[in-house]
Amino acid sequence: MKAIKRDKRAAIAAVLPMYIFTVAFIAGPLIYMLVMSFLVRDESWGITNELTLRNYLHILEPVYLETFKQSLRLAFITTLFTVLAGYPAGYFMAKLPPVWRGRCMMLLIIPFWTSSLMRMYGWIIVFRANGSLDSILMALGITDKPLKLLYTYPAVAVGMIYALLPFMIYSVYASAEKMDWELVEAARDLGASRFRAFLTVSLPLTMPGLYSGIVLTFIPSMGLYFIADILGGNKVVLVGNLIQEQLMRVHDWPFAAALSVILMILTTLFLFFYRKLSHSDKLEGLV
Amino acid sequence: MKKLPLSGIYITFILFVMYLPILLVIIYSFNENKLTSVWSGFSLRWYGELIRDRSMFEALRNSVILAAISAVLAAVIGTLGAVGMSRAKLRGAAVMEYAATLPIMVPEIILGMVFLAFFSLIRLPFGMTTLVIAHTAFCVPYILLLVKARLAGMDKSYVEAARDLGAGELRAFFDITLPLIVPAVVSGMLLAVAMSMDDVIISVFVTGVNTNTLPIKIYTQIKTGVTPKTNALCTILFLITVIMGGLSSVIGSERKSRVKADKNKEVIN
Amino acid sequence: MNKRVLALVCAAVTISSVSCVSQNTTQQVTLSSEQAAEAVAEESAAASESAEARSEESSGAETGGQLNLYTWEGMFPQEILDGFESDSGVKIDYINFDTDETMLAKLQTANGGDYDLVIADDYIIETAVAENLVQKLDASKLSNYGNINPMYQGQFYDPANEYTVPYGAGVLTLLYDPSVVSLDIKGYGDLWDASLKDSVGLIANYRVINGVALKVLGESFNTNDLDTIQKAGDKLVELAPNIRVIKDDALQNDLLSGEISAGIFYTSQATSAKLENPDLRVVFPEEGIGFGIMAGFIPSNAPNAEAAYAFLDYILDPERGARCFEYLGYYSTFSASDPLISPEYKEFLTLPDGFNSDMEMIENISAEANEKHEQIWTAFKTASGME
Repeated sequence: MKAIKRDKRAAIAAVLPMYIFTVAFIAGPLIYMLVMSFLVRDESWGITNELTLRNYLHILEPVYLETFKQSLRLAFITTLFTVLAGYPAGYFMAKLPPVWRGRCMMLLIIPFWTSSLMRMYGWIIVFRANGSLDSILMALGITDKPLKLLYTYPAVAVGMIYALLPFMIYSVYASAEKMDWELVEAARDLGASRFRAFLTVSLPLTMPGLYSGIVLTFIPSMGLYFIADILGGNKVVLVGNLIQEQLMRVHDWPFAAALSVILMILTTLFLFFYRKLSHSDKLEGLV
Repeated sequence: MKKLPLSGIYITFILFVMYLPILLVIIYSFNENKLTSVWSGFSLRWYGELIRDRSMFEALRNSVILAAISAVLAAVIGTLGAVGMSRAKLRGAAVMEYAATLPIMVPEIILGMVFLAFFSLIRLPFGMTTLVIAHTAFCVPYILLLVKARLAGMDKSYVEAARDLGAGELRAFFDITLPLIVPAVVSGMLLAVAMSMDDVIISVFVTGVNTNTLPIKIYTQIKTGVTPKTNALCTILFLITVIMGGLSSVIGSERKSRVKADKNKEVIN
Repeated sequence: MNKRVLALVCAAVTISSVSCVSQNTTQQVTLSSEQAAEAVAEESAAASESAEARSEESSGAETGGQLNLYTWEGMFPQEILDGFESDSGVKIDYINFDTDETMLAKLQTANGGDYDLVIADDYIIETAVAENLVQKLDASKLSNYGNINPMYQGQFYDPANEYTVPYGAGVLTLLYDPSVVSLDIKGYGDLWDASLKDSVGLIANYRVINGVALKVLGESFNTNDLDTIQKAGDKLVELAPNIRVIKDDALQNDLLSGEISAGIFYTSQATSAKLENPDLRVVFPEEGIGFGIMAGFIPSNAPNAEAAYAFLDYILDPERGARCFEYLGYYSTFSASDPLISPEYKEFLTLPDGFNSDMEMIENISAEANEKHEQIWTAFKTASGME
């Protein structure tokens, strides 16, 4: 009994900084956003005090619903491919000798310490007409004329996956690294095939990592609209684009706030259902 | 260990893809042409221009300071938060955790706007303080989630054993819990630094006089077009991080091999 | 933490933020007159201070202090910035914004303070003036004021020339590569031609591109009529199959690399494309031309307005102005600088003699019209992606 109390006191002390920071600097601004989403815009600049539901009704126009559809679609595609490419990488990384694990972690993150805008420009050089990829493919005789790859949907998807892969790899790695590999060995000794051993032992044990990886890729992928701008030539319109244009061009802040609130709710719903479906209930908390 | 080649090949491939665009950025930093994607000859012209631009270096300094402070702050807040929540069931913990991860669910642009409005409401002067708060806000979720994934299903008996043996709360944390979650904390901080070093949309709203950051300088060339000077800058940044990364991994591996040696000794004893 | 405490805290935060929202709006209204008075007082104080400083320091030209220059990155050549610093002894803090709107939002929270000199686009200056964030310019403090090209003065955002000094003008430029386009492009309307399938690039400014469609229909950029704007939207959707890319930064690269073969560009982009490939053809569209002006202004509570005057006067010098425009790649707005622009840039940076086409600026329009514009723009982009 005493131990439990002591535990609780220690736990409260530990979470205190997070609670204070969250209440002071996150709840405040976000509540401000929520309030703003119910206000009426001012004619040219700013907001007035009147309350309205117009901003939310406005979202129901087909042209805006379409952007939500596009965003979700791209986020799902991105997350799917990030799992396929990132899970094995994180898993394999955990199997490396300790020295190499550290090196791989560093090697993986270094590109991300330079500007993402510049990295996307690098991809433009790869994809553009008569660019690197075209030259290689034509030299190998696979294609005979430049593919028009830049400013297409696949180019956007590659850019998104590229930008989010480290989040997946790191998450999977963090949970695979602590895994007890002897359990896998034991399963193999008992006659399980390598694949079966992976399915029954490794996969469930790395589930928390996969889960946080999906959270960390799906959520940002709803907002990374600048990649769709740069590699997609602005033709894939995401909610992020819409919010930016409402804020920056139309000066309709309340509508932008309403769009953000809906986006937040959608993301939360996704996380909720994902948790229910994947039975990651062991992970406490909503996220 | 026989399995290594296949996984090794895969990891090498992933790393190659990660470095491919960077490689092209580096090559084009030696481009004589003012346009970033038309090659017209080798030149060091942009490095010359870069060196003369003092404001770039000021911005770089600001960015590094900002990234370091907010990554450390976020690591402390996020790690303690995750550990605390795993220690005991606290009422309202789920709500708080959800709230703490909200900054990555809201598009940066609106977050920037509301931060701007909020900071001016509470009369916080714009500058390094506001930048640090905003950056910490969007860095905490990464560390929180990674550490949580690491802690999930972790054996609590070690900590309890340590406590039973009379270790204080802090001692148990530093000696038992922290070493176990270090990989998650480190990867979380590496990601946090990357996020902070790259953020422009939020920064541009909460920055003040004298605190221009590097990404702001890069992104705000829209009106006049990005020149290879930016490529040159990225190349230098990249080299610095490679050297730093190399150093830290050398130091890390030395430390690890020492730890390993110690462990072997223990086994022998 | 107790649930009730949490709820209380949340409620408190909500209430305070709501009340602050309302306070803020009223505050702004009441502040404006005080602000103006304050600004005047501060200005005279600053003037007398700097006068004192001048008399104290025998070296003469020193204004001292810091100039907080707020504009996009890359607006001035390094030599000009360095030259000003060493000539005047003023340290420049060059602060950047990404969009005009970010600038206005920041300026508003600073109550017209913090920044000494802002350079931004025409339409936002009109809003900034209306929000009382701009102070009147004392032309007598600018010995080189006469160098400004009067053609770029007296525009909608500053009809009486009370607030701004124009710095660079842009013309919406139609540019194409005759080696791959068989069509003889004469106006915006030709972009709709089926032979340009999947090979047109556009800058990503919705008022500009929607405006092009309006021009093709023979309307004004600035119409407030929702039906007309919708018609322009329908017209734009017909353009979708031809669209390869819509973007603001470095669109000229796509023309040079062959990704696109025709498009609508900003002046600076057209300039750098033409310098790279002189065979490209610039078209002054038969439908009429849209143009925009960037201009410098001093915020109402600028901490060091004197330094802003000194800097403006410094770049208004004909020779220095010429160097600035060559670097910037926008049309020169200082007539005294025109003759000094080197020949290789001349044709791009000064309008041809006797140029007198229909020119119209993009001005602020009603909220409903603006909203409609954004809607047809989103529909247009989505349609381009579906092709």
